[in-house]
Amino acid sequence: MIEELETISQDSEYDLYFGPAHPGSGNFGVKLKVDGEIVTSARADPGYLHRGFEKLMEYRTPIQNAVLSDRLCVLEPLNWNLIHAEAVDELMGIEIPDRAKYIRVIMAELSRIQSHIIWYGVFSKGTGFDTGFKMAFGYRDFILDLFELITGGRVYPAGYICPGGVRRDFPKNTKDKILKVLDKMNKMIKLWEMENPALNARAKDIGVLKINDAIRLGATGPVLRGSGMKTDVRKEEPYEIYDKLDFEVPFREEGDAYARYWIGIEEMKQSIKIVKQALNDLPNGEFIESSCKKPKLNVKIPEGEVYVRNEVSRGEAAIYMVSDGNTKPYRVKVRGPDFLHMIPVLEFLLKGVQIADVPAVYWSLNICPADMDR
Amino acid sequence: MANKENELIDELKNKFKLEPKIQRERRIWVSFDSNNILKIFKWIREYGFTHLSSISVTDWLEKGIYELTYHLWSYEHNMIITFKTKISRDKPIIESVTSIWGESAQIHERELHELFGVKFKDNPDLTPLFLENWEGPAPFRKDFNWRKYVTEEFYSDDNEREKIYYD
Repeated sequence: MIEELETISQDSEYDLYFGPAHPGSGNFGVKLKVDGEIVTSARADPGYLHRGFEKLMEYRTPIQNAVLSDRLCVLEPLNWNLIHAEAVDELMGIEIPDRAKYIRVIMAELSRIQSHIIWYGVFSKGTGFDTGFKMAFGYRDFILDLFELITGGRVYPAGYICPGGVRRDFPKNTKDKILKVLDKMNKMIKLWEMENPALNARAKDIGVLKINDAIRLGATGPVLRGSGMKTDVRKEEPYEIYDKLDFEVPFREEGDAYARYWIGIEEMKQSIKIVKQALNDLPNGEFIESSCKKPKLNVKIPEGEVYVRNEVSRGEAAIYMVSDGNTKPYRVKVRGPDFLHMIPVLEFLLKGVQIADVPAVYWSLNICPADMDR
Repeated sequence: MANKENELIDELKNKFKLEPKIQRERRIWVSFDSNNILKIFKWIREYGFTHLSSISVTDWLEKGIYELTYHLWSYEHNMIITFKTKISRDKPIIESVTSIWGESAQIHERELHELFGVKFKDNPDLTPLFLENWEGPAPFRKDFNWRKYVTEEFYSDDNEREKIYYD
């Protein structure tokens, strides 16, 4: 008996599975090789949420795909709605009315705020700060109420942002209601900005990603900005009305989990600023291009190909759409930011950290398995 | 406006005898011969296109070719250049660009190997990502009909509730 125990204790290397059915991992698994307390290597194990969207979209018309594109990322469906709609708009050469552009940006930014709230929540939960988690999901509900009012769905808008514009105009008093919710968000951010020694200890100098590594591993968005690169698709390649808006791109040099967390909070402030500006300038007029008002199934997409990039809350998202002149796209390639963040970046960052720091590194990347698996 | 784009186009024309086209602001599309892949991509990486946004395969069933597209973004020049090349559909083999863009290229190629069966020479790791114990053809090829496959494999004719409901 004693001999047996000795052989076990001599061998300190073992495998540890983090996910995919773990409350703190979210439909995605990482296989860790652990030596004592230290992770020696990590291997991402995707596929738990693979639904094959790229293939599904080849079988459907754009009006159906608009609804399908909700599901590309569970946590920010409106942003994915927007990028799909933009790809179809560009292929079909549809001119979007001004009001629709403003509504699209307002919705995309509200969606970015609620996505960052989830990020804060799960990051707090992962580092053992349960109050943060509960507060986050409580405050997120205010934005979900807005989504319900405007799109009809709390989480999934069912293709609210569709080719040609948006499906419905804002109901009465929407502006006041949004402003009220934004005030609540400001209050929430003030609470989160307070120095939290417990969180600082768990996040500072953990999972450091240097700028050269970040570019080589394909990091984008908040992860790249946390490593010191000031970059944002909304600034570099303005789509919709982002060139008319005034906002900053927060970035930090450290590249650790705390830097990425800080950027999440700063970005929420910028999004609030954007929504206020857009609400202020919101023009009157049509909310959808007249030819798209009544959904038609048999509209032929002109032959061609486009590559549309957007900044979603997790980084650079893109859709490459090819049409051969039929009613359905010939090929759709979805480029999700988390495909890079969750496989190369995560595997790289987890090497050499302690087991206790795995959730902090994992959630500081603001991951969403849905757009990685697709 | 289009100065940066034109400069790059001139360089590509002179150096590699390619014929790039501007689609719109910040979008350049160019076709090339797959034999020159590493030579061109090494140069374009030096030119400032440090970010490989994505790699994609389009399966042109009737023409019998796979079209590979490489979407590159430059943080310096703020534009996307898309390189397109054609390879045979029956023997889809092409050089890997892992030596140029590192892990970000490696993972894109790994995905395409699984979904389309393209073999990337010198890519160190092409194990399947999403599908477990899959022995059928590459699932994203145009001649693989997943609806037929699913109906035959998982649905029973005898069971009334398992009738297909799509058109």
